[in-house]
Amino acid sequence: MKESSSETTQARQRWLGQLARAPRELLETSLAEVCQGAPLPAYTWLRAPQTGLAMVRGRIGGTGDAFNMGEATLTRAVLRLKDADGAGPVGVAWQLGRDKRRAELAALADAMLQSPRWGDAVRARLLAPLGATLDAARRARAQDTATSRVDFYTMVRGES
Amino acid sequence: MTDSLSSLGLLVPGFDEAVRDAQATFRVMLDALARPGTVGTVDVALDDEALARWPASAFAALLALADFSTPVWLQQRDDALAEAIRFHTGAPLTDAPATAAFAYVADAGSLPAPDAFALGTPEEPQGSATLIIRVESFAGGRPLTLTGPGIQSSHTVAPVGIADSFWQARAALAPIAPCGIDCYLVCGRSIMGIARTTRVELN
Repeated sequence: MKESSSETTQARQRWLGQLARAPRELLETSLAEVCQGAPLPAYTWLRAPQTGLAMVRGRIGGTGDAFNMGEATLTRAVLRLKDADGAGPVGVAWQLGRDKRRAELAALADAMLQSPRWGDAVRARLLAPLGATLDAARRARAQDTATSRVDFYTMVRGES
Repeated sequence: MTDSLSSLGLLVPGFDEAVRDAQATFRVMLDALARPGTVGTVDVALDDEALARWPASAFAALLALADFSTPVWLQQRDDALAEAIRFHTGAPLTDAPATAAFAYVADAGSLPAPDAFALGTPEEPQGSATLIIRVESFAGGRPLTLTGPGIQSSHTVAPVGIADSFWQARAALAPIAPCGIDCYLVCGRSIMGIARTTRVELN
């Protein structure tokens, strides 16, 4: 990346977060739409998809000492788009699960988002529907859990 | 993290098949150090750009051996190599040769003295540094006679470009065995080990 202003970094952080949660079908169909029938852009692997474990750490209530919660299966991939003028942008993907094709597509989408040739098309055809899908999923989940929500109240004693 | 991600422009791919190629490289290096003075060949597929920049055996050796617990010292500033080491192996890079577990010396002529590197301690001799030294050729330089464990009688090699003073300073470290440094000389795909137990005499 030639420009590394905080704005582009933040934008990339946002879409990397979205791509990490993207379902495989959506990635497949959206990237195919972006290419309009042509094959996906060519790339070289810098790190072919590999599956491993990462320790998930947590803090109770977000404030206590960090503790190890357990290990999660992760798949990661890094690739570089082949541009006509040599070195293209580098795309990375880190995702929960073992789906290597999904990691490949997410890394490809990250690289295409950084490329002036594909960026706008991917933003329109992938990030927009993806954002809507993720928002809908989050809302559905929030509604599901809201029905079983319990609020605790502490009665204040008179003498305290 | 963001910084290292945004500067991946120079990054070259590592091994094609990480496990297989790292094991193949490790085996060659093991044999090379077990039989000092013999030339092994690192025969793993590497990217053309990596081959153009560094000797294949040096790059493969660093990919195979370095990890998060082994700081690497580079004699010359080399952003592409630094990036490849950080990305593919996770090894930290260090500015101080004394703290390095592996050192890559691209210019054998200006090699620091051996005691500039970690020599290990009698309790932990494995804490010493391993040097990977690029040489122009294994023949045609100052002839050296190698004797010691792993060599039946003696062995003569003539690597190009390493100063006599380095071998003399290295010989001076012999009394502190089992501490000392292990060296690999690399040239293209070829690699030669010179273990800390090997006696090197200048002819």
